[in-house]
Parts: sequence; structure tokens; C-alpha cells
Amino acid sequence: MKKLHTLVMLLLTVPLSAASSDIDAQKIVRDAIDHWRGVSSYSELTMVIHRPDWERSMTMSAWTKGQDHSLVRVLEPKKDRGNATLTDTNSMWSYSPKINRVIKIPSSMMGQSWMGSDFSNKDVARADDIVDEYIHRILSTAEVDGHTIYEIESIPHEDAAVVWGREVLRIRDDHIVLEHSFYDQDNELVKRLTTLNITEMGGRMIATKQRMLRADSPDEWTELRVIMADYDVDLPDTLFTRSSLRNPRN
Amino acid sequence: MRLAAILFRLAWRNLWRNHRRTFIMLSAIAVGVWAMIFMTSLTRGMVDQMINDSINVLPGHVQVHHPDFLDDPSINNPLPYSDAALGEKFAGGEFGQWASRVRVPAVISSERESRAVTLLGIDPSAEQGFSFFDYADVEGRFLEDANDNGIVIGKKLAATLDTETGKRIVIMSQDPENEIADRGFRVVGLYTADPVSVEEAYAYVGKSTAQSLLRIGDASTEAVFFGDDYRNVEALYDAVSGALDDSVSVQRWYEIDSYLGTMLKTMDGFVFVWIIVIFLALSFGLVNTLVMAVFERVREIGLMLALGMKPASIVGQIIIESMLLLTLGLTIGNFLAWATILPLQGGIDISIVAEGMEMMGASSVLYPKFHVGDMVLASTIVLVLGFLASISPAWRASRYEPVEAITKV
Repeated sequence: MKKLHTLVMLLLTVPLSAASSDIDAQKIVRDAIDHWRGVSSYSELTMVIHRPDWERSMTMSAWTKGQDHSLVRVLEPKKDRGNATLTDTNSMWSYSPKINRVIKIPSSMMGQSWMGSDFSNKDVARADDIVDEYIHRILSTAEVDGHTIYEIESIPHEDAAVVWGREVLRIRDDHIVLEHSFYDQDNELVKRLTTLNITEMGGRMIATKQRMLRADSPDEWTELRVIMADYDVDLPDTLFTRSSLRNPRN
Repeated sequence: MRLAAILFRLAWRNLWRNHRRTFIMLSAIAVGVWAMIFMTSLTRGMVDQMINDSINVLPGHVQVHHPDFLDDPSINNPLPYSDAALGEKFAGGEFGQWASRVRVPAVISSERESRAVTLLGIDPSAEQGFSFFDYADVEGRFLEDANDNGIVIGKKLAATLDTETGKRIVIMSQDPENEIADRGFRVVGLYTADPVSVEEAYAYVGKSTAQSLLRIGDASTEAVFFGDDYRNVEALYDAVSGALDDSVSVQRWYEIDSYLGTMLKTMDGFVFVWIIVIFLALSFGLVNTLVMAVFERVREIGLMLALGMKPASIVGQIIIESMLLLTLGLTIGNFLAWATILPLQGGIDISIVAEGMEMMGASSVLYPKFHVGDMVLASTIVLVLGFLASISPAWRASRYEPVEAITKV
């Protein structure tokens, strides 16, 4: 009788605990994304695109509001000044002052590189798909320098529009993503986003230097360096419209 | 009648007086005729195959689209009927085999590559035998039903994308609101096709799956109909267009792929021109032979005229000689052509030039197509033109003055 009781308890608790750890894992990822974006934010950052024979950097300002809206405008170098990208939910528009046209990025181009970097348009427009379209699982937790670091494995749903076999995130307990690795379906590393620097900015600890590196060509990477960031700023909804994309009022 | 028999005998004997010349001429005619028929059969085989391949890829002998779909094959131009309405309209047997499908441009991506493809949402049960590959030959499995969650792509595309059966890929397209429509599919099967370029062009998913991906309810973009013979689709066309109104465009396959349609139409003209060109080259030899034969026999002809043979008989004699020569040559040439085409009908492997052929949409095995009509056409043309070509020498021979001809040295 006692044996049976234990068995029933086991049967009951195993799926329960598994479920709760899934939710935990998902919550950790969700919190990390929210922390990175905030309710709204304004930041200035430099993007360095490095190739074996050349390197270029671009400075831009970025506004975000909620999960769905973001606007990025290039400040430097001069010849790219004014190039801008607007995202709204899953759509993306690009504006170039040279041709004075707003172009909707078609679905066929979502997989392509954003402004010549190692990020794809999709990475930029749909960063928070990671929360809902995956099943998350905590692989391990570790204590480093007084912080808990969760290693989370995210496997895309069967019908998710994700090509990766799995992604592994290392998230610190203060919601900072330390590492984001993309594996193909043979479990081979394809690219990895690594946080190189964490500083306090705009009243919170954020990753101020991140590098996206392709596993098969270590000489090619893109680095994002945050120059300044402000969180929970008051941004009008009109900022995230196509007319504002074309005619900057800020 | 007696006269004809005499003339025939004279012509026959004259033909073999200089048998070396006759043999040379015979072989020239035979080779010419062989070339006419053999080349024609090769071209016919190639065109036939291109058409068959393309119809299979198109596919559908008669197709129904939104009027704008062919110019702008987007999801914004679907058929104005639901699947249920289509089923009701085409329930009768006069429509042959038919199916409705969803056809949209899409982007397929794996971890490493992206490619543009045409996404076909099909109902496998309605389409059995419609495609350019045998569903049973698919590596892995083909789609099981319209709700199948898998995707079947070409082998070449799989190699390009660096993926294989069992792995997931992402399909991205647009819904009618121009919003991105995308989802992951597991590759369940790889098909092979000839020409290989086709393998990179089409990806198959279940129709219902495609409809929910594209958020178009139960609409489809095309309805396709198969008759018995692609050369004769008029009855099918009339039946289909009779059942529909002006809100859609009903087209025969050769209207959709006008390149192929034109090719088929010009084929007969091409054969005709080809035969004439070869004959022109031949006719110089023929006329030359006849003129020589006449010159050699000036005295003899003069004698026959002096003995009372009518000039018309001289003409007849020479024309009969030329006809005999041509008929013999034609017989040999036709036989040669038949004898070379027959063993080659299993296909000529031309994979050395396969890449170039594929650019034209032809595949790497060429099947010569033997067409009795071409033989008859070639023979008729040779005989008729040969007759015309021999009139002049014959006429000249019949106009000799007997006295002058006899005394000519």
C-alpha cells in the first residue's frame, strides 16, 4: 500500500514539477526580453560590422515602446545619416532619404541581413518570438560572482517559423542575457550572441556590448555598443508611424 | 499503254547505263531523305518532351485562374469560388480529372540558405498521377492528405538548403493583407524530377495547411483539369468555360505557356522548311545528273525523234527516269531513317550537353519520335519538286532538231 502511494505521488509530482520548471524558464526569458526593452526606451548605440578585410561602424538612435513598436535612425556615418527602420508588430519598413521612399520589407527579405550586419531583419523585427514560439527548459543553474545564471534551452514548436534546431540562452538573475547560441538541427553551433560588457545605464544594469559571431567564420562579427540608454521615457504613439519614419520630428 | 511500257523500259535501262553516276545520285538522295526524316524526328521528340514536361509542371490541360493571377501570381488574386462551390460545379464526368490548388510564391529557408520557390498547396487524393514525378518514388513519403503538416521538396533544393528529410525548414509568404505568413514545416519527402531545374522550383504542402498558413479560408488560386490528350483540349475547354462565368479566366495550356504553344504550332512549318532546304541542295545534283544524261544521249535522242518518236515521249522518258531515281533513293532513305530511329527510340543519352539543354527546358535524354506523317511529307515533297526540277532538262531534250542532233559530234 505504501509502495502504491509513493508511485502515485511520483506520477503526480513528476509532470507537475516539469510543468512548473517550463513556466519558470519561459518567465525567465520573458523577463529578460522585457528588461532589455523596458516599457519604453530611448538609446544611442554603435554597431560595428567587422570583416576580415574591412570594418565599419554606424551610430544610431533607437526608440522602443512595448513589444511591438521600434524605430531606429542612423546618425553616423554621414552618408548613411537618416536611414531608418520601423517595426510594428511583425512588419518592417525601411526609409532612405537618398531615394525618399518608405519601403515595406517583404517577407522574402526578412531572412536577409539588416543594414549589412550579422543580424537578420527578422532578428530585429521579431525578437520576442523567442518567448511564445518555443518550449523552454532550464538546463542548469550556476552561481557566479553572487549571481545565479540560468542556462535555458529553447526548442521551437513544430510549426514555428524558426529554422534553428534549438537555441541556448544564458540569462543572469538580473535578467541580462549573457549568451544566446543558435544551433542547427544537427546540433551544430551556427551563430552566437555574446555579452561582453555589462554596465548600469538609465537606472538599470544592461548589456552594453554584445557581439554576434558566426561559428564557421570567426573573423566576421557584428558588435553592438550602447552609448547611452534611457528607460520608461514618454514616447508618443505617433513616433512609430510611417509618416514619422519619413519625416523625423524628434 | 504499250508506249508507257516501252518508255519505262527505256528509262530503266538508261538509268543503269552509267551505274556509277546513278549510285552516287542514289546515295545523295538517300542520305538527304534520311537527314530530313531523322532530324525531324529528333526535333519532334525534343519538342514533345518539352511540352510533356512543361504540361506536367504547369500542370493541367485546361486551367482556371483569377483573371489577374497569371500576371500577378499573388494570394491577392484567388479564385472567387470556395472549394465547396468548385466541387459542386465540376461534379460531372465531362470535366475529366480535376483538382484545385493553392499556388503562391514563397521563400524557403533553412539554417544556412534561403531560396525562392513556388509553394503548391495540393490535395494529394485529388491529384494522383497529375504531377511530373511519381508520388510513390518520393524519397521518404509524399503528403498523405490535404491536412498534412509536412513539406515535400526537390532533392536538388534540399542539397542547396543543406537540409534533409526529418529536418525542419521555414516557409515564408504573404497573406491577402500583405502581412507575413510563415511557419515551419518538417521535410517529409524529397522528389526527383527531370529536368533537374524543376527540383528547385516547387515545394509541396497540404492544401488545407497552405490555406490556414495564408489565412485564405477555403479559397484556392487555381483549378486544373486533365483531359486524355494534350493536343486536343477543346472539348474539355468548352465544358469548363461553359460551367463558369466571366469572373475567372479559363485557359488552355498553350495559352498559359505561349512559348510552348507557339513551338508546337511552328513545328510543322519548321519540318516543311527543313525538308525544302535539304531538297534544294539535292536538286542541284539531280538536275545536273539529268542534264548530263541528256547531253550524253543527244544523238540517240535525235535518232529516236527521226524514227518518229513524239517529243512528248522524250519528255516522258526522261521524267520517268528521274522519278525512278528518286523513288529508289526515297525507298533507301526512308528505310535508313526507320532503321536508325527504331533502335534509338529508347532514348539517346545527351547528358554531356545536359546543362545547355536544361536551359531550354529539355531534359538530358532525347527520345526521337517517329512520325509517319513526316515520312510521307518528305517523300511527297521530294517527288513533286523532283518532277519540277526534271521538266527543264526533259523539255530541252525534246526540242532537238533531229538532223542537228544526229550529226552532233
